[in-house]
Amino acid sequence: MHQLTDYFAVVTAAADEPAAIALAVERAAELVDAEVGAVVLHEQVHGAWGFGPDVPVQALLAIAPGPGMLAVRGLGDLHAVPNDLGAGLGGALIVGRLDEPLDAEERQVLRGMARVLGLALRSIRVLGAERTVRAEREREAAERLVLLEQARTRGMLVETLLTIQREISNRRPLPEILDAVTSGTAALLGGVPVALVLAETDRSRRLTVASASGPDGSDGAGGADPEGPHLAAREAMTTGTVLMRPVDPDRPDRGTVIAAPFRVTGEMAGSLIAQLPGAADRYAEQRDQLAAFAQQVSLALTDARTVEAVREAHHDAVTGLPNRGLFLQIFNRVLAARAATTGPASVLFIDLDRFKAVNDSLGHEAGDQLLAAVAGRLRGCVRADDTTARLGGDEFAVLMNNSPVETAVDVAERAIAAIKEPFRISGRDVFIGASIGVAVSGAAAADSDVLLHQADVAMYRAKKEGPGRVVVYEPHMHAEALNYLSLRGDLRQALQAGEFRLQYQPLVRLDTGEITGVEALIRWDSPVRGPVPPADFIPIAEESGLIVEIGQWVLETSAAQAAAWRQVRPELTLNVNVSGHQLMHPRFAADVTRALAVAGLPSSAMTLELTESVLMSDPQAAVASLAGLRELGVRLSIDDFGTGYSSLAYLRELPVDELKIDRAFIARAELTGEDLALVRTIVDLGHILGLRVVAEGIENAAQLDALRRLGCCYGQGYHLCRPTDPADLAGLLRRGSAARAA
Amino acid sequence: MQTVTGRWFGAGHSTAPDSAKAGAEAVVAALDGRTPKAVFVFCSTGHDLTALLAAVRAEAGPDAEIVGCTTLGELSSAGGAALGSVAVTALGGDGFTVRTRAAQVGAHSHREAGADVAAAMIGMDRPHTALMLLCDGLTGDPHEIVRGAYSVLGAAVPLVGGFSGDDHGSRRSFQFHDDAVLSGAVVGVALGSDAPLGVGIAHGWHRTEPAMVATRSDGGRIFELDGEPALDVLLRRRGAATAADLFAGDAALLALGLSRRSGEDIRVLHGGDEDDRSIFASAPVPQEAVCWLMDSEYQAMIGGAAQSCAEAVAGLGGAAPLGVFTFDCGGRRGVLGPDGTREETAAIRGVVGEVPFGGFYTMGEIARVRGSSGAHALTLVTLALA
Repeated sequence: MHQLTDYFAVVTAAADEPAAIALAVERAAELVDAEVGAVVLHEQVHGAWGFGPDVPVQALLAIAPGPGMLAVRGLGDLHAVPNDLGAGLGGALIVGRLDEPLDAEERQVLRGMARVLGLALRSIRVLGAERTVRAEREREAAERLVLLEQARTRGMLVETLLTIQREISNRRPLPEILDAVTSGTAALLGGVPVALVLAETDRSRRLTVASASGPDGSDGAGGADPEGPHLAAREAMTTGTVLMRPVDPDRPDRGTVIAAPFRVTGEMAGSLIAQLPGAADRYAEQRDQLAAFAQQVSLALTDARTVEAVREAHHDAVTGLPNRGLFLQIFNRVLAARAATTGPASVLFIDLDRFKAVNDSLGHEAGDQLLAAVAGRLRGCVRADDTTARLGGDEFAVLMNNSPVETAVDVAERAIAAIKEPFRISGRDVFIGASIGVAVSGAAAADSDVLLHQADVAMYRAKKEGPGRVVVYEPHMHAEALNYLSLRGDLRQALQAGEFRLQYQPLVRLDTGEITGVEALIRWDSPVRGPVPPADFIPIAEESGLIVEIGQWVLETSAAQAAAWRQVRPELTLNVNVSGHQLMHPRFAADVTRALAVAGLPSSAMTLELTESVLMSDPQAAVASLAGLRELGVRLSIDDFGTGYSSLAYLRELPVDELKIDRAFIARAELTGEDLALVRTIVDLGHILGLRVVAEGIENAAQLDALRRLGCCYGQGYHLCRPTDPADLAGLLRRGSAARAA
Repeated sequence: MQTVTGRWFGAGHSTAPDSAKAGAEAVVAALDGRTPKAVFVFCSTGHDLTALLAAVRAEAGPDAEIVGCTTLGELSSAGGAALGSVAVTALGGDGFTVRTRAAQVGAHSHREAGADVAAAMIGMDRPHTALMLLCDGLTGDPHEIVRGAYSVLGAAVPLVGGFSGDDHGSRRSFQFHDDAVLSGAVVGVALGSDAPLGVGIAHGWHRTEPAMVATRSDGGRIFELDGEPALDVLLRRRGAATAADLFAGDAALLALGLSRRSGEDIRVLHGGDEDDRSIFASAPVPQEAVCWLMDSEYQAMIGGAAQSCAEAVAGLGGAAPLGVFTFDCGGRRGVLGPDGTREETAAIRGVVGEVPFGGFYTMGEIARVRGSSGAHALTLVTLALA
């Protein structure tokens, strides 16, 4: 599109008609990647390009009135489009392309080129005619003056159009470009009033004056009648041709209104209107000039959209939904067009639950299929005029125009219910969920970025409160979200910056006090936040996927440490906590193997601790993954046993070696009868199934005694030994017993 | 091996230091005892070109058309990617017609030269045709040469070819026609065949955002991008301090892509002017053109080679390829390095198998199959013959 300027300069600089036509045809064909081109003028073909020796003259003449197929020998049928040269020439610039038809934008550019050529040809003719006529007259001085004036006007036209083109190229704001058009037109036409009228893009098609330039600061070509420009504009747009008529039908010499309509991507979009002082028959040249400027407006408006199109493809390839960029554009348009009388606009921010697990376990192709299916269900939940978009990853958004918060929440809940239903992907049922945040535009002027961000914040809250929820944004959430985001940012740095360290808490044989193993516990000393408790950062690490890297670091570091200690205590075992995200990661078993191999630690010395909730969220996958780990010889432990499902059934199915009784049942000042009964049950259960039972959170001697009496063999807790830095633990391990190290 | 009575295509290569010996060795290998209709010679400017052509003529016989040019490196199935050597391809058999013409470009007649040599196609009566252009790469304005040929032949005849190079820094490159060594010339080779011909074009480069507008340019000289001095934009985007750093021999190749319906039209950026802050492109960049800085990953460029060959072979409409002409950009060679050009040759073999191929590393490529413009840069253009 920008090459039009180059085109314009080249064509208008041509010395004569054949040169102008040849250049115009050739460059037009190249710009739209067309094979052939020609100009048909006065029933003759000029400047034929790309046909080789056999120019299909008759076929070209036949195509001049309207688009069609052009048969060319040796090539086949081409999509051919004639473009009116305007300027009263009655000719057409024809371009033909082999592969595919010319699209709306290309046709628009071609129309602009044809107009440029028409102007150039007319200019060349006028100059030539002037020369001939004047040469016959005696007054050479007058001739020179006229020629100068013609040349000046032509030069000025070129200069003004180039300036406008440059503004378009430089992406000046649209109002500035439109002002440049009206003031440029006004200057060229001798300072007459000029107005640019645009039809609104909504259904009303209301006309508004977008820019105006007049001699006395008036708003353009209205004259006495304020409706004047609108009427002329509407009429020109209806007929699609340049309108020229007297301001006052009874007194044609009192002035002439010219209105040149223009299109944007094929649709009639407005008119450029000028009011000239004299009768219509004087203004043929001015009419063409106005038409040329109208073409520039058309280009500027199209360009404002094309540039965006160039910078980003508008739709997501996987789901076919609008992408984030387009969504925000639509959103902005909705917000801008929203009148006071309509209801608020709502936006839903939708994040899929467990999508990553599906993607990791079934592969990207299945993941893409799932996303496309989700998109389909989402579309089924919203109204036809709502906009559904994929923002990226497993995030979607829905924009609901004219929709109060209650409606938005209803739709959100419908969407969650729809997504909860199983998806049939790669021959199996896949279960996922969704969490949705809702934000609603208030009375104040809203910004699409801000609203989408608010919905995002609400979505995070929804996720945090448990999957499958709908949460409406409230201002206080913002601060919490900020903290969350900054924590996530810091966490990302922490591993690289070496801010993590491990402490180890001994696992003690309760009857002898002997240390039989250690549990590795991660600690984060953030330089800005101080020590951050694992409960605060592990969930974030899990959500962001960082847990896989962090978990690997823990595995490797603790395995190396345990191997070193085993030089002194050959029977020492190591317990490491594993998150569900790690367990489901396809590389996890390989990572464990590698950590053991690098450290030189036998697999039987490592116990992986898992929580019940991890095992229950996806039991089938967990069993498969755990069986693989068991084959390596690694031992498995259920952490926090008793707090969750405590299902006997899964204990039989899962290849588990150890149960850890949650501290909640033990770490009370006094154990109740109910606590004791539960602990006894777990201990007995462990014995029956041949599992090692470990009591966590032993904090005083009474608890220790009680557990011993219940037959629990192993324990951990402050009373036995606090989590300790590795350097401090070395001595204890040499001695062999915890010996009330706390 | 093809039978001598039907169409055949052969390739040969020689690294012999003696020019006559090198010419003879390469052409004997390409002919393999057959009588050629045309012999294509691509070699280093370091050779004694007259002696080399005389040796080729002695082996090829009096009736063969002999054409070719000097290079930025040779490329063939017989010798892989090579420098300072001779690569020869030859074709013959009843199913081929070959006619040639040469024209001097002179100072301002690029278009006329292109139009002149296109006349070689006059009277060609084979069902499948293509015009190969071997042009001096140092005369400037490659587009005008291609437009000249197109103005005569139109869209029915594919155009292919390359711009000759000078691997010895002598600032002259040479073209061969009718036993004569020319400079500043265009050689046109009209190929006609009873079997299909297929053209492949691929480069493996991709855009880096944001797009820019060449707000002030004149021919291949770009003064401003987005209203800012072009050299400054480039220095900033590439994190370099001076034009010398930016265009140093070991720096990554800089390329600018102009938007085309069928992809990008690439210009090599080969220098900058510290005084007026302009940069130099290998071909004209129209003022106000939207353009992108282009990047290429190593593998994508290798993939481009395979893609180009695959396209050319696909153009044969299912017929088996007999041989392939390769016009590969010298800039690609620079970026890929010796290992990369070996991989590139392997990629070509991966597509065409045992089929012989030959051509050269160019200073610009020519391929027009669709649309009406056909000068390229940093591209591998291939012509497959069935």
